[in-house]
Amino acid sequence: MERFLLLPVFFPILAGVVLLLKKEYQKRNSLLVYVGTVLIITGVCACYAVFGVKEGLTLFQLTKEFPVYFKIDFLGRYFSLVVTIVWILAGFFSFEYMKHEKHEKRYFGFYLIVFGVLLGLDFAGNLITMYLFYELMTLTSMPLVLHTQTKEAVMAGLRYLFFSFAGAYMALFGVYVICRYGTTIVFAEGGVIPAAVLQEHGTLFLVASMLLLLGFGVKAGMFPLHAWLPTAHPVAPGPASAVLSGVIVKGGVLAVIRVAYQMIGADFLRGTWVQTVWMTLALVTVFMGSMLAFREPVLKRRLAYSTVSQLSYILFGLSVLQPEAFSGALLHVAAHAFIKVGLFLCAAAIIYRTGAKRVEELKGIGRGMPVTLWCYTIVSLGLIGIPPASGFVSKWHLASGAIASGIPVFSWLGPVVLLVSALLTAGYLLPVTMQGFFPGEGYDASRFKGKEPSGFMLVPLLALAALTIVIGLVPNVLVYAFEAFAALLM
Amino acid sequence: MNAFWLFLVVLIPCLGGMITPLVRWKKRAYMMVYLESVVIFTSVLVWLLLFHRPGEAFTLVNFTGNLTIAFQLDGLGTIFAGLVSFLWPFATLYAFEYMTKEKHERTFFMFYTFTYGVTLGISLADNFLTMYCFYELLTLVTLPLVMHTLTREAILASRKYLYYSIGGAAFAFIGMIFLITYGETSEFILGGVLNAEKIGAGKNIFLLIYVLSFFGFGVKAAICPLNSWLPQAGVAPTPVTALLHAVAVVKSGAFAIIRLTFYCFGADFLRGTWAQSLLMAVVMFTIVYGCSMALRETHLKRRLAFSTISNLSYILFGVTIMTPLGLVGALSHMVFHAFMKICSFFCAGAVMHQTERHYIHQLDGFAKKMPKVFAAFTISSFALMGVPGLCGFISKWNLVSAAIESGSLISYLGIGTLLISALLTAMYMLGIVIRAYFPGADFDYSAIADVKDPNWMMLFPLLAFVIGIAGFGLFSAPVTELFTAVAQGAF
Amino acid sequence: MEMIRNFPCLSILLSMFSAIISSAVKGRGARRINTFVVSVVGILSACTLYYTYTTGQSYVYVMGHFPAPFGNEIRFGSLEAGMALFFCVIMLLSLNGGRRKIQMEVDPEKENLYFIMVDLLLSSLLALVYTNDLFTAYVFVEINTIAACGLIMIMESGRAIEAATRYMIMSLLGSGLFLIGLCMLYDMTGHLLMSNVQASIQAIAADGTYVIPLLVMIALLVVGLAIKSALFPFHAWLPDAYGYSTVSSAAMLSSLVSKGYIFLLIKIIYRVIGFDIFVQSRIINVLFVFGLAGMIMGSTSAIRENDIRRMISYSSVAQIGYIYMGFGLGTSAGMAASVFHILAHAATKSLLFVSGVGLTDVSGDHKEFIELTGSAYRNVCAGLAFTVGSLSMVGIPLFSGFISKLLFSQAAVQSQIKMLPALIVLAVSTVLNAIYFMKTVIRIYTPVSCKYKSVSIRENPLYAFTLLCFVVLNIGLGMWSQPITDWIAQGLSVFA
Repeated sequence: MERFLLLPVFFPILAGVVLLLKKEYQKRNSLLVYVGTVLIITGVCACYAVFGVKEGLTLFQLTKEFPVYFKIDFLGRYFSLVVTIVWILAGFFSFEYMKHEKHEKRYFGFYLIVFGVLLGLDFAGNLITMYLFYELMTLTSMPLVLHTQTKEAVMAGLRYLFFSFAGAYMALFGVYVICRYGTTIVFAEGGVIPAAVLQEHGTLFLVASMLLLLGFGVKAGMFPLHAWLPTAHPVAPGPASAVLSGVIVKGGVLAVIRVAYQMIGADFLRGTWVQTVWMTLALVTVFMGSMLAFREPVLKRRLAYSTVSQLSYILFGLSVLQPEAFSGALLHVAAHAFIKVGLFLCAAAIIYRTGAKRVEELKGIGRGMPVTLWCYTIVSLGLIGIPPASGFVSKWHLASGAIASGIPVFSWLGPVVLLVSALLTAGYLLPVTMQGFFPGEGYDASRFKGKEPSGFMLVPLLALAALTIVIGLVPNVLVYAFEAFAALLM
Repeated sequence: MNAFWLFLVVLIPCLGGMITPLVRWKKRAYMMVYLESVVIFTSVLVWLLLFHRPGEAFTLVNFTGNLTIAFQLDGLGTIFAGLVSFLWPFATLYAFEYMTKEKHERTFFMFYTFTYGVTLGISLADNFLTMYCFYELLTLVTLPLVMHTLTREAILASRKYLYYSIGGAAFAFIGMIFLITYGETSEFILGGVLNAEKIGAGKNIFLLIYVLSFFGFGVKAAICPLNSWLPQAGVAPTPVTALLHAVAVVKSGAFAIIRLTFYCFGADFLRGTWAQSLLMAVVMFTIVYGCSMALRETHLKRRLAFSTISNLSYILFGVTIMTPLGLVGALSHMVFHAFMKICSFFCAGAVMHQTERHYIHQLDGFAKKMPKVFAAFTISSFALMGVPGLCGFISKWNLVSAAIESGSLISYLGIGTLLISALLTAMYMLGIVIRAYFPGADFDYSAIADVKDPNWMMLFPLLAFVIGIAGFGLFSAPVTELFTAVAQGAF
Repeated sequence: MEMIRNFPCLSILLSMFSAIISSAVKGRGARRINTFVVSVVGILSACTLYYTYTTGQSYVYVMGHFPAPFGNEIRFGSLEAGMALFFCVIMLLSLNGGRRKIQMEVDPEKENLYFIMVDLLLSSLLALVYTNDLFTAYVFVEINTIAACGLIMIMESGRAIEAATRYMIMSLLGSGLFLIGLCMLYDMTGHLLMSNVQASIQAIAADGTYVIPLLVMIALLVVGLAIKSALFPFHAWLPDAYGYSTVSSAAMLSSLVSKGYIFLLIKIIYRVIGFDIFVQSRIINVLFVFGLAGMIMGSTSAIRENDIRRMISYSSVAQIGYIYMGFGLGTSAGMAASVFHILAHAATKSLLFVSGVGLTDVSGDHKEFIELTGSAYRNVCAGLAFTVGSLSMVGIPLFSGFISKLLFSQAAVQSQIKMLPALIVLAVSTVLNAIYFMKTVIRIYTPVSCKYKSVSIRENPLYAFTLLCFVVLNIGLGMWSQPITDWIAQGLSVFA
């Protein structure tokens, strides 16, 4: 039964490799059918695995002591569901979008492989397995980044790679330390390092956990190693930037939660300089990301900066080490995933249909692409945090958790920064909507006439918008689960 | 098996090689078959010996006093001999294809096969003197290989190689004299052979001598500042650069240092002394230095050579930790790096053989035209970077566990160095990979229309190495157990 | 077997008389006589060696049965006999290897003169090896000098005459110092027979009189012989003398003449002054330092040299430095290493000279490196032999140079203070040797479009055979050194 876990992980990887090795398809449709089938099958298998398989699976011994081990726990379940939903939706979106890009086969091949790798990352049951898939995620997602092969894209791809590896290697130091001193490397609530060892090697563990947070934080775009994100995400093809910005960055978040809460343990970090540094960095990133997004004229780059900022909301929620903030952060993972993928897909749809990339070119776009722009508006509201969209709930929990934590300075500074950043978010997202629907008197928007994209694009957009609203309306199912989980951790 | 076989496996390739230029081969293929069978025969014998180990040593010559040339197979020797004898047949196969475009084939293969015997001699040496003799011999027989093209550049490179190597051996010689005088026996014994009574209070002198001989052998293992011969020696034909300057010669240096540290002076004697800290610092510097130089280098083989410099110091880092775990790390990197680096060098050689292109900026878009070669190259790059699931990760893991276990501040710094080096490795290796796969949207593939994958004689070794890289990476436990047994003297 | 005791005296007389007979015959006859005599002396020495080695004793042979102080004594043990045998072998090989060159370079009228000089050289060397009388030693030192000058000068070119003059002046300076030392010694002790002198010196040293005269005397004797054997910094005469004489002369000068003086010095150290007294004097440290300096400076000069003959000559300076460094260690192990190196260096250096001439011959008689490029392909056996010689000089295992390096370092390790400098200089000197010898080897193996004719083995089989003998000698010393070191140890033990 537990062997079933391998299916959602390795089936798409194999399917992707097969696709890459195959000759060019004669007809485009057969490629799409192949990819679509694989996506659906993987989705179904993933759902089945998430809900049906309770046991862990030891695949084989990677090193003498440590096996490659899969087990779906609460976090894995949650993250893999988010990944699956988003991946399938963005995948179908690409069917249409990729028409105007070259090398489709390569794109879809790697798209499938990354899907499998991400599921593997979520299913990973111990630290080594997680690290393995984390590295693979970097490597396999790189071809998506530099897909267009322009000089800019290749440079961005290299930058992505080197920042990611720099982070991974920083984290690797921590991994080594944990593997050496931990009683086990299987994820466990509250950490795996005996208190006596923590006492004895205090400094070592503080340094190690700082490196772990910084290292995995790279993927989540945390200051100071965030510079790759705004370059790498926008140069990819639209749907790829969507999943990069919406889902793959969450790999970093997952890794941070795993090491901070399930390996080192929240109790050890609480009140140390590591926590202070972490919170500071997260808040700096929140504010800085929003400011940069606010000043950015190109839509996709603006969205990428927004990702930098939003991811640090999550990191801030985690850094407070308080149950309510923690559940807020977790909720924001899903919310941000749906919202950001939705935003990027809207931007992609606009580029696909009109070629407009800069914000000022979008005046009056609502006349021609009303559905797209409505979807954009709905998810934007979610990101800003206006009820009833999902972002509101998560931010609420983040802020109240921060206040409840009672950490000096940060308990009030955090919410203030979040609030300011929310205002900025409104400032950089809503002008598109306003100018799109109300370009002003006498503005000629005829060039956008009839540019509404086809169903392949609209359905995913609508679905994401709907998800944003649904999570906003009925967050409690999730929030209760998160709080229960947070209680276990802290 | 009888101990005499130990001598035979050293002798067979030497004689087999020497016969090559004396015979008038009617066809090139006959020579190929002959040489390949000599090499395979030797390898089979070596592996038989590994599994049926002769218990005693075989003494060949008695120099003065208790100084003998003798052969013996112990755990460490098993690993090195096994590694070398596994790689050599593949490399010979590859060399046949590669050398079609070079001159003086018969001389080349004479020395190439001869070197096999000498390298086995190093691994099977029973005492320091024997190892030293073969070590010197290795310099001499590889010299014509470096010099092979006989261009001005090659001659300068070979001169440098010679001066460095002989100079290094001269300092290693001092260590040998000390061990002969102050050791209880001249054989290799895990834990060291120094006689504590004879040493008395002069420990610092011994440490000084150890450092001198470490640097002496370190010349072959290319530690900074004695490394500049290695990138220059890259002018040799690629089978030489790949097998000798990534495995046989440089690993002999590392092997000799392991012998020196663990089997002669004894890790317990050295641990915690200034000598250890000094050498660790040098080794760490070399790791970073090699990587940075590789990053700056635009010549493909030289870049790989600088990468070798850095990776060799990984091995030496393991040695300088001076614990059994450190030895495990050193051994695993010795074996795994051999696979990774020979694979990447063979890919570089395939490119040079097929296209005569030597510089990295000329490799744009090659992956599409040479998909198999570049798949292998990519995998070896990932392995060198230490991507989990490939063997580079395992050796790095073993090294780092040893460093953490030893717990001193400098070994934590060493971990940091390894990680920085991993990042730099990613930069210089993936720079090539990305260039080959993603040459840019407007790249004109017609410019490299004549580029294609080489034939099976070049691809088959690559396949074998790739399988090795992935196999060791995924199922490392038995290998690591073997290394642990060796390091604890249980094997 | 008693008869064998007459052999040493017989061989000295034989070689002297052969010189006299040679003056009456033509060049070819003189050569044959010489070959015959050297072979006979070799056989006689071999018998003596066998006899003394098996009995393990040294014997005194009183010339003309006059007892001391009027008589003249010969004393021989296994070391002396072995040395005599070795000198004969090297001389034979050097003359054979350079025979064609002698015919080319020496005026046919004077060829017999050349062999007279060689005969005289042999007799004086044998006398230096065997004699037990200091004044006899001095006489033969002078004869040796004159013979050596003749050997250098025989080419009659301007450079050769200049070199010979230079050699003469330096050598006479050395002999002069030696003679002054001898006078002081005679003054102090009243004896000239070595055994008697030693007894007196022991007494003088024991009661503490004549401390300074003793020291000065030792210094004079040592410096005199050091000048003659070209210890750095008294080596200025050497490169010219070796570089511009005919090859057999160069080979013999480097491997026999200087070694004869060194052997005499060993004899004086052991048998006249006494090893312990010598070690206690400060002279030994001077020798050590000069030896070390010679090892480095000789090699650096050789690196700068652009002429293969002069390069090999400068290498001799370095090698002589090794030998004196062994003396300077002041242990019997160091002394044994020095004795071994006398053999190893003699075998190697004459090989290098003889094979070097093969290389220059196929390069239009040019000695510059640039012309030598690729010469090993034009004269295969000379190339191989030169390579063997170079490897041996560098100290590659399996060749004789390695064993002497090994023995030197083992001796050095036993010394407390001198250990580190000796070892480090040995290592550095190895590197330097490698630089100039291996540079040459690489050059002669670098192929070049050929403008000179190649030579095959068949054209000069004697030359090839000589080289083969040299190579075998070299590898033999390197591989089966155990009996040789045993013999040296035994010889030294009965030496005093």
